Amino acid sequence: MTLAPEVTDVQAIVEQVWSSFLGEEEPLLPRPAAGGQFAADEAWSAAVSISGGWDATVTVELSGPVALSLTRTMLGLDDADATEDGDVADAVGELVNMVGGNVKSLMPGPSVLSLPAVAAGRAAHPSGAAEIARFDGVWAGEPVRVAVHAIPQP
Amino acid sequence: MKILVADDSKVMRQIVIRTLRQAGHGGHDIVEAENGRDCLEKVSSEQPDLVLSDWNMPEMNGIDCLGALRAQGSQVKFGFVTSEGSDEMRSRAAAAGALFLIAKPFTAETFTEALDGVLG
Repeated sequence: MTLAPEVTDVQAIVEQVWSSFLGEEEPLLPRPAAGGQFAADEAWSAAVSISGGWDATVTVELSGPVALSLTRTMLGLDDADATEDGDVADAVGELVNMVGGNVKSLMPGPSVLSLPAVAAGRAAHPSGAAEIARFDGVWAGEPVRVAVHAIPQP
Repeated sequence: MKILVADDSKVMRQIVIRTLRQAGHGGHDIVEAENGRDCLEKVSSEQPDLVLSDWNMPEMNGIDCLGALRAQGSQVKFGFVTSEGSDEMRSRAAAAGALFLIAKPFTAETFTEALDGVLG
Protein backbone atom coordinates (compact mmCIF):
# COMPACT_ATOMS: atom_id res chain seq x y z
CA MET A 1 0.00 0.00 0.00
CA THR A 2 1.32 3.42 -0.92
CA LEU A 3 2.10 5.69 1.99
CA ALA A 4 0.17 8.92 1.52
CA PRO A 5 -0.09 12.20 3.40
CA GLU A 6 -3.45 12.87 5.00
CA VAL A 7 -5.62 15.11 2.85
CA THR A 8 -6.30 17.24 5.92
CA ASP A 9 -2.54 17.73 6.37
CA VAL A 10 -2.14 18.79 2.74
CA GLN A 11 -5.05 21.20 3.15
CA ALA A 12 -3.53 22.63 6.34
CA ILE A 13 -0.18 23.18 4.61
CA VAL A 14 -1.80 24.90 1.63
CA GLU A 15 -3.91 27.11 3.88
CA GLN A 16 -0.89 28.07 6.00
CA VAL A 17 1.22 28.96 2.96
CA TRP A 18 -1.70 30.81 1.46
CA SER A 19 -2.53 32.93 4.49
CA SER A 20 1.14 33.73 5.09
CA PHE A 21 1.71 35.17 1.65
CA LEU A 22 -1.72 36.23 0.43
CA GLY A 23 -3.25 37.33 3.72
CA GLU A 24 -6.54 36.23 5.20
CA GLU A 25 -8.83 38.92 3.80
CA GLU A 26 -9.83 36.66 0.92
CA PRO A 27 -9.91 33.10 2.29
CA LEU A 28 -8.97 30.00 0.34
CA LEU A 29 -12.05 27.79 0.57
CA PRO A 30 -12.19 24.04 -0.02
CA ARG A 31 -14.04 22.86 -3.12
CA PRO A 32 -14.74 19.19 -2.27
CA ALA A 33 -16.86 18.39 -5.30
CA ALA A 34 -14.13 19.27 -7.78
CA GLY A 35 -12.68 16.50 -9.90
CA GLY A 36 -11.35 15.61 -13.31
CA GLN A 37 -8.89 17.79 -15.15
CA PHE A 38 -8.06 21.15 -13.66
CA ALA A 39 -10.47 23.47 -15.44
CA ALA A 40 -9.18 26.99 -15.85
CA ASP A 41 -8.32 29.21 -18.75
CA GLU A 42 -4.69 30.29 -18.91
CA ALA A 43 -3.73 27.98 -16.04
CA TRP A 44 -0.27 27.90 -14.49
CA SER A 45 1.20 24.82 -12.88
CA ALA A 46 4.34 23.85 -11.01
CA ALA A 47 5.78 20.60 -9.70
CA VAL A 48 8.45 19.38 -7.33
CA SER A 49 9.51 15.80 -6.77
CA ILE A 50 10.44 14.18 -3.48
CA SER A 51 12.77 11.21 -3.70
CA GLY A 52 14.51 8.96 -1.19
CA GLY A 53 12.67 7.62 1.85
CA TRP A 54 9.40 8.51 0.15
CA ASP A 55 8.85 9.14 -3.57
CA ALA A 56 6.17 11.45 -4.89
CA THR A 57 5.48 14.54 -6.94
CA VAL A 58 3.64 17.55 -5.59
CA THR A 59 1.89 19.78 -8.12
CA VAL A 60 0.13 23.09 -7.83
CA GLU A 61 -2.33 24.33 -10.45
CA LEU A 62 -3.74 27.85 -10.47
CA SER A 63 -5.96 29.83 -12.79
CA GLY A 64 -4.27 32.74 -14.58
CA PRO A 65 -5.90 35.39 -12.36
CA VAL A 66 -4.79 33.57 -9.19
CA ALA A 67 -1.23 33.23 -10.51
CA LEU A 68 -1.15 36.96 -11.26
CA SER A 69 -2.60 37.92 -7.87
CA LEU A 70 -0.12 35.64 -6.14
CA THR A 71 2.77 37.19 -8.05
CA ARG A 72 1.67 40.75 -7.38
CA THR A 73 1.12 40.07 -3.69
CA MET A 74 4.44 38.29 -3.27
CA LEU A 75 6.31 41.07 -5.07
CA GLY A 76 4.34 43.84 -3.33
CA LEU A 77 3.05 45.23 -6.66
CA ASP A 78 -0.16 47.13 -7.34
CA ASP A 79 -2.86 45.81 -9.65
CA ALA A 80 -1.75 48.29 -12.29
CA ASP A 81 1.86 47.10 -12.29
CA ALA A 82 2.86 44.84 -15.14
CA THR A 83 4.15 41.37 -14.38
CA GLU A 84 6.38 39.30 -16.60
CA ASP A 85 6.18 35.56 -17.16
CA GLY A 86 9.44 35.20 -15.25
CA ASP A 87 7.91 36.81 -12.17
CA VAL A 88 4.85 34.55 -12.34
CA ALA A 89 7.06 31.48 -12.82
CA ASP A 90 9.12 32.57 -9.82
CA ALA A 91 6.06 33.04 -7.60
CA VAL A 92 4.27 29.84 -8.65
CA GLY A 93 7.55 27.90 -8.32
CA GLU A 94 8.06 29.25 -4.81
CA LEU A 95 4.51 28.24 -3.91
CA VAL A 96 5.05 24.61 -4.93
CA ASN A 97 8.46 24.64 -3.24
CA MET A 98 6.89 25.66 0.05
CA VAL A 99 4.02 23.18 -0.21
CA GLY A 100 6.35 20.38 -1.35
CA GLY A 101 8.90 21.09 1.38
CA ASN A 102 6.23 20.94 4.03
CA VAL A 103 4.70 17.74 2.62
CA LYS A 104 8.20 16.21 2.59
CA SER A 105 8.59 17.08 6.28
CA LEU A 106 5.50 14.99 7.10
CA MET A 107 6.70 11.85 5.39
CA PRO A 108 9.47 9.30 6.07
CA GLY A 109 12.96 10.42 5.09
CA PRO A 110 15.63 11.15 4.40
CA SER A 111 14.48 12.43 1.02
CA VAL A 112 15.56 15.10 -1.39
CA LEU A 113 13.28 17.85 -2.69
CA SER A 114 13.84 18.86 -6.31
CA LEU A 115 13.88 22.38 -7.64
CA PRO A 116 10.46 23.42 -8.95
CA ALA A 117 9.50 23.06 -12.61
CA VAL A 118 6.91 25.62 -13.72
CA ALA A 119 4.73 25.70 -16.82
CA ALA A 120 2.06 27.93 -18.30
CA GLY A 121 -0.69 25.31 -18.58
CA ARG A 122 -2.31 22.64 -16.41
CA ALA A 123 -0.30 19.75 -14.99
CA ALA A 124 -0.22 16.38 -16.75
CA HIS A 125 0.85 13.16 -15.07
CA PRO A 126 2.18 9.90 -16.54
CA SER A 127 -0.38 7.10 -16.79
CA GLY A 128 1.36 5.09 -14.06
CA ALA A 129 1.28 7.91 -11.52
CA ALA A 130 -1.42 7.41 -8.89
CA GLU A 131 -2.96 10.42 -7.21
CA ILE A 132 -2.69 9.86 -3.44
CA ALA A 133 -3.89 13.20 -2.08
CA ARG A 134 -5.55 16.27 -3.52
CA PHE A 135 -6.81 19.60 -2.25
CA ASP A 136 -9.17 21.56 -4.48
CA GLY A 137 -9.86 25.09 -3.42
CA VAL A 138 -11.37 28.28 -4.65
CA TRP A 139 -9.89 31.70 -4.04
CA ALA A 140 -11.69 34.88 -5.11
CA GLY A 141 -13.91 32.69 -7.28
CA GLU A 142 -10.95 31.09 -9.06
CA PRO A 143 -9.76 27.48 -8.84
CA VAL A 144 -6.65 26.24 -7.06
CA ARG A 145 -5.49 22.61 -6.92
CA VAL A 146 -2.66 20.90 -5.05
CA ALA A 147 -2.13 17.22 -5.79
CA VAL A 148 0.30 14.56 -4.61
CA HIS A 149 1.13 11.65 -6.90
CA ALA A 150 3.06 8.50 -6.04
CA ILE A 151 5.98 7.95 -8.39
CA PRO A 152 5.81 4.42 -9.89
CA GLN A 153 8.75 2.30 -8.74
CA PRO A 154 10.54 0.03 -11.26
CA MET B 1 25.24 45.66 9.44
CA LYS B 2 25.23 43.95 6.08
CA ILE B 3 22.94 40.99 5.33
CA LEU B 4 23.37 38.70 2.32
CA VAL B 5 20.09 37.14 1.15
CA ALA B 6 20.64 34.05 -1.01
CA ASP B 7 17.70 32.51 -2.87
CA ASP B 8 17.24 31.50 -6.50
CA SER B 9 13.75 32.99 -6.42
CA LYS B 10 13.67 36.76 -6.86
CA VAL B 11 10.17 36.72 -5.37
CA MET B 12 11.42 35.01 -2.22
CA ARG B 13 14.41 37.36 -1.89
CA GLN B 14 11.98 40.27 -1.95
CA ILE B 15 9.73 38.61 0.62
CA VAL B 16 12.71 37.94 2.91
CA ILE B 17 13.85 41.58 2.59
CA ARG B 18 10.30 42.83 3.25
CA THR B 19 9.97 40.53 6.27
CA LEU B 20 13.29 41.76 7.65
CA ARG B 21 11.83 45.26 7.54
CA GLN B 22 8.59 44.11 9.21
CA ALA B 23 10.64 42.37 11.90
CA GLY B 24 12.38 45.61 12.76
CA HIS B 25 15.58 44.91 10.85
CA GLY B 26 15.04 47.23 7.91
CA GLY B 27 18.02 49.46 8.49
CA HIS B 28 20.68 47.05 7.32
CA ASP B 29 22.51 46.98 4.00
CA ILE B 30 21.17 44.15 1.86
CA VAL B 31 23.09 42.20 -0.75
CA GLU B 32 21.45 39.49 -2.86
CA ALA B 33 22.78 36.22 -4.25
CA GLU B 34 21.04 33.93 -6.77
CA ASN B 35 22.48 30.59 -5.68
CA GLY B 36 25.02 29.00 -3.36
CA ARG B 37 27.99 29.67 -5.63
CA ASP B 38 27.03 33.34 -5.97
CA CYS B 39 26.59 33.44 -2.19
CA LEU B 40 30.04 31.96 -1.62
CA GLU B 41 31.61 34.58 -3.88
CA LYS B 42 29.68 37.46 -2.31
CA VAL B 43 30.58 36.45 1.24
CA SER B 44 34.16 36.95 0.12
CA SER B 45 33.63 40.17 -1.86
CA GLU B 46 30.95 41.83 0.28
CA GLN B 47 31.95 40.63 3.76
CA PRO B 48 28.39 40.46 5.14
CA ASP B 49 27.69 40.15 8.87
CA LEU B 50 24.93 37.60 8.32
CA VAL B 51 23.84 35.26 5.53
CA LEU B 52 20.17 34.28 5.16
CA SER B 53 20.12 31.42 2.68
CA ASP B 54 17.66 29.14 0.98
CA TRP B 55 18.56 25.44 1.08
CA ASN B 56 17.51 24.19 -2.38
CA MET B 57 19.21 26.22 -5.07
CA PRO B 58 20.76 25.47 -8.47
CA GLU B 59 24.56 25.59 -9.03
CA MET B 60 25.28 25.04 -5.34
CA ASN B 61 22.76 24.43 -2.58
CA GLY B 62 22.76 26.23 0.74
CA ILE B 63 24.21 23.44 2.89
CA ASP B 64 27.12 22.94 0.46
CA CYS B 65 27.67 26.70 0.45
CA LEU B 66 27.85 26.72 4.25
CA GLY B 67 30.24 23.76 4.18
CA ALA B 68 32.45 25.54 1.65
CA LEU B 69 32.45 28.74 3.72
CA ARG B 70 33.52 26.90 6.86
CA ALA B 71 36.13 24.95 4.90
CA GLN B 72 37.56 28.28 3.74
CA GLY B 73 37.73 29.44 7.33
CA SER B 74 34.81 31.87 7.10
CA GLN B 75 32.89 32.16 10.35
CA VAL B 76 30.19 34.43 8.93
CA LYS B 77 26.88 34.11 10.79
CA PHE B 78 24.62 31.89 8.70
CA GLY B 79 20.92 30.99 8.91
CA PHE B 80 18.63 29.08 6.60
CA VAL B 81 15.26 30.26 5.26
CA THR B 82 13.84 27.14 3.64
CA SER B 83 10.63 25.27 2.93
CA GLU B 84 12.05 22.26 4.73
CA GLY B 85 11.74 22.53 8.49
CA SER B 86 11.92 18.87 9.55
CA ASP B 87 14.00 17.81 12.56
CA GLU B 88 16.40 16.09 10.18
CA MET B 89 17.03 19.30 8.20
CA ARG B 90 17.38 21.34 11.39
CA SER B 91 19.94 18.85 12.72
CA ARG B 92 21.92 18.95 9.47
CA ALA B 93 21.84 22.74 9.47
CA ALA B 94 23.03 22.98 13.07
CA ALA B 95 25.75 20.37 12.54
CA ALA B 96 27.06 22.37 9.58
CA GLY B 97 27.26 25.52 11.69
CA ALA B 98 23.99 27.33 10.96
CA LEU B 99 22.65 29.46 13.81
CA PHE B 100 18.99 28.92 12.97
CA LEU B 101 16.56 27.57 10.39
CA ILE B 102 13.46 29.58 9.53
CA ALA B 103 10.87 27.37 7.82
CA LYS B 104 8.71 28.75 5.02
CA PRO B 105 6.01 29.92 5.30
CA PHE B 106 7.16 32.33 7.98
CA THR B 107 5.93 35.46 9.71
CA ALA B 108 7.68 38.61 10.84
CA GLU B 109 7.50 37.19 14.38
CA THR B 110 9.48 34.14 13.28
CA PHE B 111 12.17 36.44 11.90
CA THR B 112 12.19 38.50 15.08
CA GLU B 113 12.68 35.40 17.23
CA ALA B 114 15.50 34.07 15.06
CA LEU B 115 17.29 37.34 14.43
CA ASP B 116 17.08 39.35 17.61
CA GLY B 117 19.66 37.17 19.32
CA VAL B 118 21.91 37.24 16.27
CA LEU B 119 21.72 40.88 15.20
CA GLY B 120 21.09 42.37 18.63
